[in-house]
Amino acid sequence: MIQLLFILLLVPLGAGGLLLLFSGVSQQRSARWIALGGSLVALALSLQLAADYRALQAEQGVSASDSPIAPRVEYRRTWEIIGDTSTPGAAADAIKLEFHFGLDGISVVMIVLTALLGVVCVLSSWDAITERESEFYAALLILQSGVIGVFCAFDAVLFYVFFEFTLIPLFFLIAIWGGPQRRYAAVKFFLYTLAGSLVTLLGIITLIGYAAKGGLTSPCSLPELAAWYQAHPMDPWLQVGVFAALSVGFLIKVPVFPFHTWLPLAHVEAPTAGSILLAGVLLKLGTYGFLRFCLPMLPDACLTVGLPAAAILSVIGIVYGSLCALIQRDVKKLVAYSSVAHLGFCMLGLFALNVEGMTGGVLQMVNHGLSTGALFLIVGMFYERYHTRMMDDLGGLASRLPLMAAGMVFICMASVGLPGLNGFPGEMLSLAGMFKRNPLYAAAGATGLVLGAWYLLTMLQFVFFGPLKEPAVHHHDHDRHGPIRDISFRELAALLPLAAACLWIGVRPQPLIDVIRPDIEAVAKLYDGRPPVDLKALAVAKVQQRSGQEQ
Amino acid sequence: MSPATEHLVLWLIPGAPLVAALVIALLGKSVLRERSHWPCWLALATSMVCAILLVTKLAPATFESPDESVIGAMATGYSWLKVGGMDVRIDLRADAMSALMLTMVTSVSFLVSVFACGYMHGDKGYPRFFGAVSLFVFSMVMLVLSANYLQLFIFWELVGLCSYLLIGFWFQKPSAAAAAKKAFVVNRIGDMGLILGIFLIWDTFGSMDFANVLFDADNLSLIAQDHPTRMIAICFLLLVGAMGKSAQFPLHVWLPDAMEGPTPVSALIHAATMVTAGVYLVARSTPLFMYAPQAQVFISCIGATTALIAALIALTQTDLKRVLAYSTVSQLGYMFMALGVGAAGAELATAGATAGMFHLVTHGVFKALLFLAAGSVMHSMGDVIDMRRFSGLRKVIPVTHWTFLCGAGALAGVPLLAGFWSKDEILAVLHEAGHHSDKYGNIFTAVYWIATVTALLTAFYTFRAYFMTFWGPERTPPEAGHHPHDAPPAMAWPLRILAIGALTVGAAVAVTHLFAHYFEHTPGFEPVENHVFHVGLMVQSGLIALFGIAVAWFMYVKNPGLPAKVSQGANFLYDLSSRKFFLDEIFTAILVLPLRGLAYLCFMFDTQVIDRIVDGIGALPRLLSAAPRLLQTGYVSSYALMMWVGALACMGYMLGLFHQ
Repeated sequence: MIQLLFILLLVPLGAGGLLLLFSGVSQQRSARWIALGGSLVALALSLQLAADYRALQAEQGVSASDSPIAPRVEYRRTWEIIGDTSTPGAAADAIKLEFHFGLDGISVVMIVLTALLGVVCVLSSWDAITERESEFYAALLILQSGVIGVFCAFDAVLFYVFFEFTLIPLFFLIAIWGGPQRRYAAVKFFLYTLAGSLVTLLGIITLIGYAAKGGLTSPCSLPELAAWYQAHPMDPWLQVGVFAALSVGFLIKVPVFPFHTWLPLAHVEAPTAGSILLAGVLLKLGTYGFLRFCLPMLPDACLTVGLPAAAILSVIGIVYGSLCALIQRDVKKLVAYSSVAHLGFCMLGLFALNVEGMTGGVLQMVNHGLSTGALFLIVGMFYERYHTRMMDDLGGLASRLPLMAAGMVFICMASVGLPGLNGFPGEMLSLAGMFKRNPLYAAAGATGLVLGAWYLLTMLQFVFFGPLKEPAVHHHDHDRHGPIRDISFRELAALLPLAAACLWIGVRPQPLIDVIRPDIEAVAKLYDGRPPVDLKALAVAKVQQRSGQEQ
Repeated sequence: MSPATEHLVLWLIPGAPLVAALVIALLGKSVLRERSHWPCWLALATSMVCAILLVTKLAPATFESPDESVIGAMATGYSWLKVGGMDVRIDLRADAMSALMLTMVTSVSFLVSVFACGYMHGDKGYPRFFGAVSLFVFSMVMLVLSANYLQLFIFWELVGLCSYLLIGFWFQKPSAAAAAKKAFVVNRIGDMGLILGIFLIWDTFGSMDFANVLFDADNLSLIAQDHPTRMIAICFLLLVGAMGKSAQFPLHVWLPDAMEGPTPVSALIHAATMVTAGVYLVARSTPLFMYAPQAQVFISCIGATTALIAALIALTQTDLKRVLAYSTVSQLGYMFMALGVGAAGAELATAGATAGMFHLVTHGVFKALLFLAAGSVMHSMGDVIDMRRFSGLRKVIPVTHWTFLCGAGALAGVPLLAGFWSKDEILAVLHEAGHHSDKYGNIFTAVYWIATVTALLTAFYTFRAYFMTFWGPERTPPEAGHHPHDAPPAMAWPLRILAIGALTVGAAVAVTHLFAHYFEHTPGFEPVENHVFHVGLMVQSGLIALFGIAVAWFMYVKNPGLPAKVSQGANFLYDLSSRKFFLDEIFTAILVLPLRGLAYLCFMFDTQVIDRIVDGIGALPRLLSAAPRLLQTGYVSSYALMMWVGALACMGYMLGLFHQ
């Protein structure tokens, strides 16, 4: 099974490398076929991986592991040893970096999502990208490999390497194939997230160093690190500090209000495929980071500081993001702001710190990937036809493009959390989990249900319903594209799997939940009956102790 | 019936419409086209037959002994979601209350779908219409058959979706698109309350199943003792949901606009079935509400307010469908009034819920009839529905005329017709509540008098609409063509059948208290000892109805000039009513505009403050480097100068010039 994972990791990378290698030689138009082949193989492999994983899970039963992070499949090989190993006594001080890949339920689910969106991205770029195609698809595929790498890396440093690596292909995707302001958007996105990640790195180093000092021989391994911190918890104040450092990068990545301003810009400027991957999986790296570092290793900080802070910021993000979405005239920007609101739900669930909420949070990660990916896909479709995304220029498209309109209504309903579609179980569980912790946060977050319906249905009302209003299409465009047609077979092939997944998760969420449940329960166990720490009293006690020593 | 057949019957009720919806969705546009009504008809007929089977199956052996053990039917589905402390199953569960409601829902749906075949004939979206109607019936019966609160919520939202799709059926019309959005968003406000209420139930009871929450009386009273305030909070939150779906003041504003949908939809969803889901929810949760008398009194007061305001607005509307829409709001208010009387005593709770549910059923029949008849008027008048543009249609469209008359009589409460019985029961329980309760007696007496006044208004506006449409000089709008035709058979037969229902359904079950006896077998309700008629009240309400009709006749047939004079004489009051108490304007002013303003501010804040700060921090390194950069001029001469100064300084240092 681990071989399967490696093949999966290498296929998009290999296909991307191939494209780059022959970028000058090959016919440009054949690039997309290579990309499609590569992404389809990756999808097939990921599905096989998921099937194998479920079989393994059925065989092993619910994991009895004590560690909050317990991949069922692991591959470990020493990569680099930092420090002196020649003298026997000093070996304990050396820090071992490993190629530590693995799979647990959460990573399997995220990998399948990544592979699925990869195919959708290629299909969405089919006609939209006409310049430097080889490079474009190469960047897309390499990005996909990078993201899969993040999800299966169980070594802290390896995780960070992949985490940062994903910036590079996306930077090029935005900066080369983006809209008019692409340079500004790409630089801002790159520098902002990079700056945040550097602070996160500080946090990761502290985590590793602290454990190494405490005698953990392989402090970079996430499972061992988490297990070690369970046995030797850090001082709560130190936890808060590390939590804050780790959070900076993750909060920017998610993004949580007020660190979100790079996102609408990046989305608006990115090509459709870039937006789909950005919203679908790259934002999830932030929440995934919280799930892998903060929640299992810093329980006191998460409970005492993280919960209220994340809840308040998420609630603000939900309301604020929805309100900002409400007055956008550019549909893509509207969807971008809706991401801020939706990830608010996700964070609200994760920081409920109980099984219900965290399950909801992870489901919301998947759901947002599916439904927002599909929203960007459809926005891209009508942008390709009309070369505008402004609500003022468009109207009544349902008369001209009935199938696309039906798809849009479907996806919007998934996005507003209509029961029967995917958004509902995620949002409902997130809110229910938070309700158990603190009903007020949940009630405030629930206003997002109303606001979400408001802005998305307003968009539907003006863009798809009402009398038909189309912008005048330039003559030369007309020649190239012919008359405006409804969804083509290729577009349907991109949209249908997403819609089917939305429906499947909505009607039958349990199989998906069963895959992730053991891993979530392992983390949630840390918070069962854990009382919040009185940080102030602790500080006072410490100061008194110190002054007592001085006297 | 063997358990296996029972399961089959239960599953067929929602299953058949779901299959029909899928078939129409897949094949409607390409294969079925003008035949798209067939799957829908077949499915709804199946559902109806199964629902009737269910009612007879659930009938207790004798109606005389109320002590007979609780009866119900259950069909297991699947475990939808099981995480931590949350365990949600999709099961089907039926008892007396749901069986009665199902019978009404499925039979009205079937008749409406038959009617729609004629009404929607030739429409471009014909398959889409029947697909959505099938989906609606599926969701609605699943709502009624729910076995837990979360399942109820799931289908509660799905009927909202169908309502959205069908209000916006003619999406090219901007008004329809706007109305659809309004309906969905306003309903979502209610839904937000409902889901929070469900969370609170889950948090308090550790379960969302009706069996654990509602029907386990001992457990319920224990928990209610421990958490009295929680019970009140739960009830108020559930109530918010009910108010949204059942269009209670102030969340009623979406329903009149919903008339933008095709008329069969108005008849089915926005009169007979979906809007009564809130009533069903409250009636279903009666055991919970018994521990929150404040919430119950609030229900009655909200019901009274809604009933009165909607009736006052209905007085001056000139759009026939809007008159009916406001009358629906008003009648839903009646049902709410009845549901609240439990506050006056446990023995009244059952009577109140019975009265409310009975009115729900009769109202479903006669209001569907009225809407369909109005649709038939529209059909023959070339889609004109403004009552000022036609009159004297009684000879032009005779079938429509007499069926409308039956419905109007039932709504107005003409003695012995359907509405008379159910409305009278509501008035009776309110009257009794006013006398029985010490604490809330005055409130219930006031509610009773509001209900009586509303009854008078109802009779008046119903017959105002009737006289304006069917009496007076014969006038038809040009859109109707030269020879307006009456309803074709597919439309006429449902009208006839519903008309017979409107005439008889009340008398058939009310005289013998059949409905009440049956209903009492719903789990969670105390049986009522003795059923009596309040003859005095009946005579009073009968007279009131006839008086209202007489006034309408006097104003609109005898003296057709009078209404204009009255409206001029009471200009302000007339405006208040015809402009719907300015509620839409008020909501826009206090809710929509401020929120949009806030949204604008948020966005400004986003681009002008937050993003500026981010860019500012990004610019910081450049700013900091500004000073050192001045040194890097790029001129060789200045570098040489600096080298020279530096060399001098070094030399000086070495020579000890700086040493003391």
